[in-house]
Amino acid sequence: MTDNAHVWHVSAAAAARYADGSLPDHAAWSVEKHLEHCGGCATRVSSAVTATAAAGRALTDVRQSLLTAIAGTARATTTAPAADRVPAAATAPLADRVQAAATAPLADRVQATTTPPVADRVPATTTAPAPGRTPAPRPPRLLPQLNRLLKPLPRPLLRPLRLLRPGHPALRGAWLTALLLVGVGAVALDRADGFAGARTLLLALAPLVPVAGVALSYGPHADPLYEIAAATPSGGLRSLLARTAAVLAVSLPLLTGAGLLLPASGAPGAAAWLLPGLALTLAALALAGYVGCRTATALTGGGWLAAVLAPVAAAPGGSLTTRLAGQLARCLDGAPAQGAWAAAAAACAALLAARRTAYDHLERK
Amino acid sequence: MTTIRLTGLTVRHRKAVALDGVDLALGTGVHGLLGPNGAGKTSLIRVLATVAEPAAGRVEILGEDVAGHRGRVAVRRRLGYLPQEFGHYPRFTVRDFVAYVAWLKELPAARTPAAVERAVARVGLADRIDARIGTLSGGMVRRVGLAQAIVNEPDLLLLDEPTAGLDPEQRVEFRGLLRELGAHATVIVSTHLVEDVAAACTEVTLLDAGRVAHHGTPGGLAALGADPDAPGENPVERGYAAALRAHRAAPAAGREAVR
Repeated sequence: MTDNAHVWHVSAAAAARYADGSLPDHAAWSVEKHLEHCGGCATRVSSAVTATAAAGRALTDVRQSLLTAIAGTARATTTAPAADRVPAAATAPLADRVQAAATAPLADRVQATTTPPVADRVPATTTAPAPGRTPAPRPPRLLPQLNRLLKPLPRPLLRPLRLLRPGHPALRGAWLTALLLVGVGAVALDRADGFAGARTLLLALAPLVPVAGVALSYGPHADPLYEIAAATPSGGLRSLLARTAAVLAVSLPLLTGAGLLLPASGAPGAAAWLLPGLALTLAALALAGYVGCRTATALTGGGWLAAVLAPVAAAPGGSLTTRLAGQLARCLDGAPAQGAWAAAAAACAALLAARRTAYDHLERK
Repeated sequence: MTTIRLTGLTVRHRKAVALDGVDLALGTGVHGLLGPNGAGKTSLIRVLATVAEPAAGRVEILGEDVAGHRGRVAVRRRLGYLPQEFGHYPRFTVRDFVAYVAWLKELPAARTPAAVERAVARVGLADRIDARIGTLSGGMVRRVGLAQAIVNEPDLLLLDEPTAGLDPEQRVEFRGLLRELGAHATVIVSTHLVEDVAAACTEVTLLDAGRVAHHGTPGGLAALGADPDAPGENPVERGYAAALRAHRAAPAAGREAVR
């Protein structure tokens, strides 16, 4: 790998010299030109630059001031008069919600999963008790942060959110714990350890979370109410989709928000996993029509891990996270990759629609 | 009026045959489903609940063929089902749980609160309607299961071992409720308690090894057990044993040939 060869890559030594500024100008320009079209070298150089003390400090400072600014906005949001809070809440940075989620006790969140599903269709049950019946006092059961977030929203805006509540049995304790472990764990790794590959790790694991949510939300093995639900007109694909929607509605914003809190350090953008996550979830649903939820999610999740980890194990050079970041960049970065994920998602959705009646009998599959 | 018509119904669990060419026609009233363990009672109820798929045969419920998706959904709206193992969410209150099932059954929202309270009152849990299911006793949980099954006033009510876990007094009340429901709906109750059948059922179907061993009235079954020296505590029990013996003796050779 010499600087004057026709096809060359940035060596680790050159990357280090580029990072500390000791690379001669003409060589630095070559490096920069090359980085425009080589993901692997971009990853290597990026991590070299981040590793230098000066850049690391600068990045930390920028992130810190950004977080302070966000926290300030959040405080303003909660103290502003109601009229002002509508747009503020709607545009509230994800970071705020993620932090709120991180500080909420787990028990609270699990409790939130058992809020009555009735309210969306039966407002009378909770809001206007029938005359002659004293309503039993009920504890506020939505998690307070979510309540604060939702309250200022006008009713029409609330409706789509409340529609998800019938799907709430999907948000099982085990799955919520997994979700928090991945999302909050990545942020904690970064904050406490200064572990540079936190976002890489997050992006590698994030698509597994909604897939696991599907496995845990519906089917004879996962849902105690499955047998009864399957004998209702809402059983089958409709229940499966409602619960998947609930899983996605919680995991997509939370994990993307967690990704935004982490330094890039060579990893793709925080939102790059959204389409793959959706495509894998739909693939799991489509497969479930053939082999049942459990096997389907195991196959899809295992397939993703194999696609991401196997080349990393085989690839030469660089630290594990650097190689993982490079592999993720190949899987996620750029229009062709994202386009392929979108196409896969569309294909799986079409398959689901075509085979919708196969979900009426999911047992023993 | 015939509400259920089964023709050549065969159900398999992997390789085992659970139901073997069952033909049956049932109408409004309370039907007891009797038989030894493994006779196919639960398999039959699960097919009628549209949860299990038959390997062969035709299942017609309330005038709809449940082999098609459209017919299946139409039947599911008019169905009440209490499975043998009643799964529930322990953190739900009785009211929320029954309302959730009502929602799954597409009950109109305006009617739901009243329907929930009525169903819970009919199973005798009105005073515990806002208790969490996890805090209730086994018999009460069973009654919550019954409440969710009847919340949509079903035309076909399927109860798999509903009296398991009820104490004697509750069983007496439960039989009263069954008779009340059977006046307008087709109620199918699987049980291994012969006295339930004698007390509450208008018709009885005896299953053995995936086949119908006897179909008739509880009185008819009791008549089979008229011989007081035969084993059994009461006429219906003796009739049950006699019908099983007769079925096992007579067509045994033919059944082996079919398999």
